[in-house]
Amino acid sequence: MAAAMASAAERAVLEEEFKWLLQEEVHAVLKQLQDILKEASQRFALPVSGSEGAIKQENFVLSTSGSCVLGMKTTSSHMFVSSFKDINLKMPRNNQLLHFAFREDKQWKLQQIQDARNHVNQAIYLLMNRDVNYQFRTGSEVLKLMDAVMLQLTRARNRLTTPATLTLPEIASGGLTKMFTPALPPDILVNFYINLNKLCLTVYQLHVLQPSTTKNFKPAGGSVLHNPGAMFEFGNQRYEVSHVHKVESVVPWLNDALVFFTVSLQLCQQLKDKISVFSSYWNYRPY
Amino acid sequence: MKVTIQAVAVWGKIAPSHSITAIMITDDQQTIVTGSQEGQICLWDLSSELKVSSKEILFGHTASVTCLAKARDFEKQPYVVSAAENGEMCVWNVASGQSVGNTKLPYRHTAICYYHCSFRMTGEGWLLCCGEYQDVLIIDAKTLSVLHTLTSSQYSDWINCMCIVHSTRIQEDSLVAVSIGGDLKVWDLSSSLNSIQERQSVCEKESKSLHCINCRAIRFCTYTERLLLVVSSTCWQVYDYCDFSLLCTEFCKSGQCFAGGEVLAAYRLILWTEDGHSYIYQLLNSGLSKGIYPADGKVLKETVFPHLLCSTGVKENKSFPFVMGFMNERKEPFYKILFSGEASGRITLWHVPDVPVSTVDGSPKEIPVTTTWTLQDNFDKHHSVSEGIIDYLCASEDGNENAVVSSSVYIPSLDKLVCGCENGKIFVTLALRTVRARLLENISLFKDNLPYKVLTGHSSRVTCLLYPHDKLTRFDPSWLLSGGQDSVVICWDIFTGEILHQFTLQSGPVTELLQPPEDCRVNQSIVCCVCRDHSVAVLHLQDGVCLLHARKHLFPVKMIKLDPVENLLIVGCEDDSVYIWEIETGTLERHETGETAKAIFSSIDESEYLMAGVQLPISQDSKRHKDTAYKFSSSCKRGMHVPCPHLGDNSSKLCFCFCFFQLPDTGHIQQSFTVLPLKTKWNNINFHVLLFDLERLVELLTSQLSGLKSSNSFHDYDTLQRVKSTAEKRSRTLKRNKTAGSICAVNGQVNTVCANQDHTDSSVRPLEESGGMKRHKKMKSSRKNKLQPLGNIDVNITDTAKLFLSCLFPWGVDKEIDNLCVSYLDILRLQCPVSFGLVSDENYMSLMLPGWSSTDCGVLEERAVINLFSKRVLDLANKFLSATEGQTGRKDGPGNNIHGSQGSETVFLLNRIALINRIINIPLDISEVESIFYLYACMYNKNRFYAPDFENISLMKLTRCWSDQSIKIIEAMQAVLLAEVQRTVITLRKTAVCREPLPILENGNGKGNQWTSQLKLSCSFATELSMSLGVPKHDKGSNSTSFQDAEDTPDRCVLEESESPGESHLKTVTNW
Repeated sequence: MAAAMASAAERAVLEEEFKWLLQEEVHAVLKQLQDILKEASQRFALPVSGSEGAIKQENFVLSTSGSCVLGMKTTSSHMFVSSFKDINLKMPRNNQLLHFAFREDKQWKLQQIQDARNHVNQAIYLLMNRDVNYQFRTGSEVLKLMDAVMLQLTRARNRLTTPATLTLPEIASGGLTKMFTPALPPDILVNFYINLNKLCLTVYQLHVLQPSTTKNFKPAGGSVLHNPGAMFEFGNQRYEVSHVHKVESVVPWLNDALVFFTVSLQLCQQLKDKISVFSSYWNYRPY
Repeated sequence: MKVTIQAVAVWGKIAPSHSITAIMITDDQQTIVTGSQEGQICLWDLSSELKVSSKEILFGHTASVTCLAKARDFEKQPYVVSAAENGEMCVWNVASGQSVGNTKLPYRHTAICYYHCSFRMTGEGWLLCCGEYQDVLIIDAKTLSVLHTLTSSQYSDWINCMCIVHSTRIQEDSLVAVSIGGDLKVWDLSSSLNSIQERQSVCEKESKSLHCINCRAIRFCTYTERLLLVVSSTCWQVYDYCDFSLLCTEFCKSGQCFAGGEVLAAYRLILWTEDGHSYIYQLLNSGLSKGIYPADGKVLKETVFPHLLCSTGVKENKSFPFVMGFMNERKEPFYKILFSGEASGRITLWHVPDVPVSTVDGSPKEIPVTTTWTLQDNFDKHHSVSEGIIDYLCASEDGNENAVVSSSVYIPSLDKLVCGCENGKIFVTLALRTVRARLLENISLFKDNLPYKVLTGHSSRVTCLLYPHDKLTRFDPSWLLSGGQDSVVICWDIFTGEILHQFTLQSGPVTELLQPPEDCRVNQSIVCCVCRDHSVAVLHLQDGVCLLHARKHLFPVKMIKLDPVENLLIVGCEDDSVYIWEIETGTLERHETGETAKAIFSSIDESEYLMAGVQLPISQDSKRHKDTAYKFSSSCKRGMHVPCPHLGDNSSKLCFCFCFFQLPDTGHIQQSFTVLPLKTKWNNINFHVLLFDLERLVELLTSQLSGLKSSNSFHDYDTLQRVKSTAEKRSRTLKRNKTAGSICAVNGQVNTVCANQDHTDSSVRPLEESGGMKRHKKMKSSRKNKLQPLGNIDVNITDTAKLFLSCLFPWGVDKEIDNLCVSYLDILRLQCPVSFGLVSDENYMSLMLPGWSSTDCGVLEERAVINLFSKRVLDLANKFLSATEGQTGRKDGPGNNIHGSQGSETVFLLNRIALINRIINIPLDISEVESIFYLYACMYNKNRFYAPDFENISLMKLTRCWSDQSIKIIEAMQAVLLAEVQRTVITLRKTAVCREPLPILENGNGKGNQWTSQLKLSCSFATELSMSLGVPKHDKGSNSTSFQDAEDTPDRCVLEESESPGESHLKTVTNW
């Protein structure tokens, strides 16, 4: 059962098996991982600049949550990397319908998607570096590679599952507010983010706090979603959030990507486990 | 003020793994700095003959190091910055090995460039960083805070690589960067200094898509001031910097990937690949050299083509990713060096000739490897330094050297060190004596008489050990748990060596043994055990049953919590999923992922984990607790749930640093000496670090000497309780020993008893006590309650102090001094140089590596010097002597102390060293007045040191300026120790006859306090000075009386005669 007791014949067999694992099995798994991740990466793929003609259109109707109706249409294959067309906001305040679109001359990217894409590409690059001709000599080499790949994949997944917590001034000063045409009214803040497989849009309606107000001013900290009543200071002016509208829509390909991440993480871990089984059998060699 | 703890590393035969992920050579070409996947930084000495030798290893990062860069103008300050995978950044002084600053930001950097523009910039310069975030961050090199960002107006993306373009022709410093999408961006630096300082947004000046994916390096040719080398993994390209037109492209051989490149000279480039090859190209051109006219771009493009001149290679690429760099220095005596670091930890250097040429027939010439070196080479070369802590035991046991320690645990309350070996044996020894036997010379006596026990039960490597009683008293004090590669957990009786229970789990090697935290309401004696197949077993030790073996986990276990109320086991895995098991039925109740799992994670307080995560907010806490020494109950609690330094394979990354600051602080306040076993990640190599808490050592020694024991403030309820429990334990074990009749065990036990009973006897003759067993037992029963609280520390303290001095002292500088040390101080010579180290509360530790002795002081061959830290020590010692020469007529000092007992001399030396330590630890960037204030605080805050006199003040001034010159603390301490001993020799010669006893002014307790308060009131230095002169005299009288009072306790009237070398220096204490 243990190393000390393993007979010479047993050892020979184990060595043979370990050799097979390093030479054959590892490459098979790496190939499989590459395929999965390439598939995932295609979901994030950028339209190659210059091939604007091949743009396919995606429509997202963000569900309504009662007071705020929002319809949205995007052009370009990936809204996240370029632009939204037509955002319709129906304000409960005066029932007025606000209509916005993204400016054509500026580009705005959803940071989460960009980061996730970059992480996946890094993972693919790590895997591609060891092509079929590369011979793994030790198990720890494989373990280190797997650790590096898993780190990138975990980051990619976490990027999608955990939206950034932003403070209201950060949202106000971010590039997104300047992306709209016609420009947003000064009492409205918007924020887009990804939460798991959902694209979320939050719209904050603000009202200005008069300097003479008796209200205790307490600036709100960072949060994914701020509640009505949150206060902040921006450009020498104090604001309070009066209404918050949140709408979200499921993005099918994000779901795919998350599944791909999970599957490849499991594959990596399984490979690591297979390698470490053999570590039990010889003590002094770095397996 | 920083608090530092002195450490001595006892390495094993095998070097800790160091998978190089970043490498650089400092500007003075004397040091190679490498960062590793394990998170350590290694400093290597590079000699002028291009020989490499490891010097020091720095612990500070808790994750893999991603990049290294210089952090200051190197001529002024030898600082290097390192960044880690988890966002940590640390600035190191590579000359002294100390951390200068650190921070943790939510950014992961992959490259850092240092930029300083001396005439337009205030401060220490900027670190321009890029990594896994958009665009470029500007970080202040001094404070390490984010100053600003360089933003892109379009195609904002991660930056892959960058370089600073500094050209006299262009008159503008720029940052050229290539993004991950292949866009080249240029930011102006010098002209946007103002807007950066005013925090206006700075956008790129130019942006151009290069269509090169995976760009690895970009370099500007400073020779031609117009070529730009862009290296991507598949090809390298040369652009014209003026208009970014492409001049040439060269693709790499199939199966290779370019990893970087550098400009060698005008039109000469060096490129290297990921598998460790490099190629030197000459750019053959016809028109390029003539024209600096961008308009010619198109023509030039036709005319430039590369010609391969030379290449370098490695015979066999042992470990794949090579990190390479090139150092281009044209000044004599500097070399052009191509250097590489491998994942296996190997460093290879190539000396590239100034004018590389191809062979006669035009084929590329192979440049041979100049040097190649690994950490292991150093360990092999200095094998006496790198001998493991119990290697001689194993050798004597079965003659083969294979018994490498694979896991170990130190039990402070018993002063026992338990080491599990590769061959399945477990050695139980007495820690301090084992260490003495390992480090000191000529103690074959020690080695032969060293009591130890061997526990045999495991059939293969012992992977982890746990002594649960140490942290939780409801566990029986005799229980010792060990887990093995054979998937067996054995519960031993540590005193008799018998197997109490054996659990066979059959799920691969046991990777971790964990116990519940103190405040958790689990009342039974339950431990958890994690196996390689990610299963968790809940073991009930009292009943000897395995309550639950949870086997469904797909990913490594990150945290475990026992819920005693619901009788649940909550297991968190590395993929952020949570498994909840019902212990009674053994069923999986819930398996949660995603949001729910996150909620469960966040609802569990960190203190409830059996195993804490990697990132613990310990550092701040430990700092606080250090100051308030007796209020340590809460830090105690915190110490419990850290599985401490056992870093099994599945505890992700190394978390050395966090563990450090708990051990010395928490468990045992009386402990001035601790053995800290550490394990590295990949090769499971165990080494031990001995920690000496100098402050405490001095405190305890002083109190021991002056008889103030009973009034010590730290004898609070906690300690008393502990002592009580250890007393109980001892009586029990004695009984056991009788019945068991194992000679070895009895011997060991007696030593412990002696150690705790009769300090006078055993401190002087630690070897002669084995006969006195009966006497001690009698004494025990009668004097148990009185003596034990005090006695517990005595023998260890004296021995520890002596061991510390032995380790610090530079042996062989002067024979006379050596002899004096041996005879007067009763310290023993070292067997071999020790690897000294320093642990600071700022989360870092530095340890010398076995090669250090050959690096710094190789010049002093004429004398066989052992353990001299550097040549500088001798200069410093001389300076110190001459600076304090004028005050030979001082009232207190070694000249007089030499006639006192040996103990007081030791105390004096330790005091001095501790003082130096404190002075050097004073922050550098404070004003004059503040620093004076600090100096006084240094002397008084521990409240039992010498009254100030001229000598002390000049000493402070001297050492104060040392700390400005990046002299290591250790060097300073060694210098002062050497100087003080030298001075003692001189005084001894003069006053050999005179033996007039004088009181020592070291228990000026109340005075000290009063002083500090006075100082706070009056900040003027002059008054302080005059007072400091006036008071000692006045002090003397009052002290000597109180001193005698204190000495009335009978057990102090003791002769210390055994070490007298024939002369009559011994003196009874009652004479005072």
